Parts: sequence; structure tokens; C-alpha cells
Amino acid sequence: MANILIVDDSSTMRKIISRSLRQAGLPVDEIYEAGDGIEGLSVMEGKSIQLILSDINMPNMDGLEFIKSVRAKGVSTPIVMITTEGGEDILKEAISSGASDSIKKPFTPEQLQEKLGGML
Amino acid sequence: MTLNQQIAAATKLSEADLAGYVISATKEVFETMVMLTLEDSYPLKEPVTSFHCSVTGMVGLAGTYTGILSIHCPRTLALLITSNMLGMDVEEVGEDVNDALGEIANMLGGYVKQILSKGGLDINLSIPTVISGEDYTVSSMADSDCVVIPFITENERFLVGLKLEKEG
Repeated sequence: MANILIVDDSSTMRKIISRSLRQAGLPVDEIYEAGDGIEGLSVMEGKSIQLILSDINMPNMDGLEFIKSVRAKGVSTPIVMITTEGGEDILKEAISSGASDSIKKPFTPEQLQEKLGGML
Repeated sequence: MTLNQQIAAATKLSEADLAGYVISATKEVFETMVMLTLEDSYPLKEPVTSFHCSVTGMVGLAGTYTGILSIHCPRTLALLITSNMLGMDVEEVGEDVNDALGEIANMLGGYVKQILSKGGLDINLSIPTVISGEDYTVSSMADSDCVVIPFITENERFLVGLKLEKEG
């Protein structure tokens, strides 16, 4: 069973992602939530997290800065971007910053299963 | 109410193409995230600027193209949309409704951004803004260079508007 951190400035989207993870039948234990990258870094402190799901377009610290900050700490936990941003260059930048993959919003539980099943 | 001619020339998209993308995106967002099926109508010929007992979610685009993508719902429909997205009954317009309508605007803005910018780095999406009230006016919808598409679901009508301009 995996602990997952969801970083998204929309509380509605965090709830949808959380519900969809369970609907997809993924082996989820604890789900932690954060509203931006800064809060995400804070929530991660001292916790065992096996997967991070992060939006890109967020206030205070966006998803790209968040990935860079996580990797700068030496944390190798897989990070998957869940975002409305579908542009090739942005996704390339996310991958080169240390993201493992991306999922486009809107998504279905089946799409989460397909992308995340092999990581958990 | 027509697509800005500069936009049509720069994107090589007709008004019908752009309206088609917005319709397709809106239906996908609603069917996937809100669990509601939509019927669309022809884009409006006259601007709608005044809203009564409604909620409006907007996201701005800035960069090589600038504009506003907006969704305007009657309050009762906004409550239903939020309830469906959260999986619980929501009975008052407040933080949850604002967040839900903002996120729908954000997803629709993402689609528009992808149509206009393949790479995604030359256009930025703003953080969503949501307004609601008994009576209010949205001035960006007064512009004739704005495509506004009505949708119907659960016997209620809502509007999705897109105003675009080309920079430079």
C-alpha cells in the first residue's frame, strides 16, 4: 500500500483525484494534500511517500519549481504531473526537471490506473 | 458575436472550428469530471453581459494570444455541478462552488491554450477567478469579438464564452 501526496491549488480537483485513485483500485493507503508547491514541500517533511501527483499551474510555487525543489533535496519519489497543460514544451520541461510522466485533465479512473498502476 | 478576424488569420481556424473545439472540450470536461451530459446550441449572435443569480468562472490567457475563457451558470446549476464533482450535496454558493467553477474554467482554458500553442510556453494561463451574485455584468462579454456557446443540461442553460486577441 502506498502513501500519495496530491499537490493542486483546487480543493475540488484534489478530492476528484483522491476519489479516482480509490475507484481505480490502486493500492492506496494515506493520501496527503497540499495547495501549492511550498505547502507540498512542507507536507512531505518526515513522511514516507511513494508517489507525488502535482498540478503545474499553481500560485506561490508552481509545479515545475516544486519538482526542482523536491529533486534538489535528493528525493527520488516518482512525480506525475496532473495538469491542464498539454503543451509539448511544458511537458518536456517537466520531464527534464524530474517528473516521471504526465496525465491530462480531465481524466478517468481508468486512465489513472493505466498511468500509475506500474508505479505502485 | 464573431471570432476576431486577426485570430482567424493567425490560427487558420474558422469561427466554426474554434466553436467546435470549445464544444468538444466542454462536453468532455462535463462527462468526465461532472458526470453530466450536455446538449450544445449554435453560438449566440448577440452578446450577454448581465447575469442574474449566477456564478461565473474565468481564466485568462496571456502571451502570443490574450483572452478570457469564461463559464456562466445559474446558481442552481453551479450547486449541482459542485455536488457532482465533490460527490456530496452542496447547498450554498461558497468556497466549494467557487473552486469547482474555477477548475472547470481552468480545464477549458487548458484546451484553448493547447489549440493556440502546441509547445505551451508562449501562452500562460492565469489562476482562475470566480464571481457570483444577484446581478452583475461581465464587460469582456460585451465585445463583439467573442464566441459564446450555450449548453443545456438538467433543463438548465449555461454559457461558455471565449474572447481572444492576437498580440503584436
